[in-house]
Amino acid sequence: MIQVCSLKKQFNNIMVLDDVNIDFNTKEVTCILGPSGAGKSTFLRCLNLLEEPTAGKILYNGKNTLDENFDVRQLREDVGMVFQHFNLFPLKSVVENVMLALVLVKKMPKKMAREKALEMLKKVGLSDKADVMPHTLSGGQQQRVAIARALAMEPKMLLFDEPTSALDPELVGDVLAVMRNLAKEGMTMIVVTHEMGFAKEVADRILFMADGNVVEDASPDVFFTNPNTQRAQAFLSRFIA
Amino acid sequence: MFDWSSIPIVFPKIVDGLQMTILIAVLGILAGFIIGVCAGYVRTTKSKALSSIAAFYVWIIRSTPIIVQALYIYFVIPRMLDISFNREIAGILCISINASAYISEIVRGALNEVPKGQWEAGYSLGMNKFQILFHLIFPPAFKSMLPALGNQFIITIKDTAILTVIGVAEMTYQAGQYAATSFNLVESYTLLALFYLVVISILTIVLSALERKMGVDRR
Repeated sequence: MIQVCSLKKQFNNIMVLDDVNIDFNTKEVTCILGPSGAGKSTFLRCLNLLEEPTAGKILYNGKNTLDENFDVRQLREDVGMVFQHFNLFPLKSVVENVMLALVLVKKMPKKMAREKALEMLKKVGLSDKADVMPHTLSGGQQQRVAIARALAMEPKMLLFDEPTSALDPELVGDVLAVMRNLAKEGMTMIVVTHEMGFAKEVADRILFMADGNVVEDASPDVFFTNPNTQRAQAFLSRFIA
Repeated sequence: MFDWSSIPIVFPKIVDGLQMTILIAVLGILAGFIIGVCAGYVRTTKSKALSSIAAFYVWIIRSTPIIVQALYIYFVIPRMLDISFNREIAGILCISINASAYISEIVRGALNEVPKGQWEAGYSLGMNKFQILFHLIFPPAFKSMLPALGNQFIITIKDTAILTVIGVAEMTYQAGQYAATSFNLVESYTLLALFYLVVISILTIVLSALERKMGVDRR
């Protein structure tokens, strides 16, 4: 579905992504792990072009996303994203948050959009919060609204950028439960996370990144029991200890 | 000492002036707001050329007194371009240009205050730049700039008083004319001050009601 070829990203003089080559397949749940500063978030943000790569190619269904004629907006409609800090729209109610892009981007009539939005909120367990303002919700609830907002667009793929890192520990579980259900339904997901338990249980594939590159690409069974590289071993030992 | 009998004469003159003051202030603030939003917005974009032009504009306007700007617009520019303005048009131009420079700084600050994540959320949902600006960036920016904007409106209304130097028949001009011909200086200028006090007080009440309605200060 997405092929990344020789991807490089440089901020000023710092090479954040250094020649990344990787393919992502449909219906696969990939978790990206690694120490902070490894380039995980930057890599994820390159996939929907929130960051513009310095060099290399990203093919989406065979088409080069960096081509001048490529429809970036359509790509972003297909590839949803959930952010670490939720990024809900503060002046809009919960249901309006979910509806907005349906009305503006999908040109759906408001009534239909609202119904669709309510359906998505039900899916993340927040039907009763449709008409409240986002700031009255807990972090975990806000993140589930953000997931509902991304889902409403009927994306072919979802990117999660540390979706639970900004949450209080007791709120992480609800968000992970929603993500687990999505994985079960066959959603293609790429998740940057520090939740080892989630990665072990839900991921079909683990990418371990360090120093701007993917240093391991393995199934969770292999990665968590028998990592190939010393970097991964060192990284995992800190979580087991 | 205070000649009460002059009040019925000067009162209607200042009321005449009030109409002109309000006309110029309203048009000046409207035009100033539109120019200010544009100038403030371009300074937050990546366009170096537009941003420099806007910064230059703000620099010129903020670095010269409004009274000099009024004289320049009414006396100098028509002579240079070989055109003529009537006083009122020159007055509105002066007020709107001056207000726009200050408003653009308010707008720039408020736009920069909206978290970058709002842009990213909008883009990630497939929205285009204009949809994001009008639905996600301007509304919270407008809300946060409301107190500063209200303050600027108050300043702008009072700034119309200096248009008296180019002979615009607003309140200060009317009071001044009467004072000069009748020598009832105390009465004229006291009443004039009261008029400004009432106008600004009404505006202050309207602005704080608006702020309450928009939920400024609440999060």
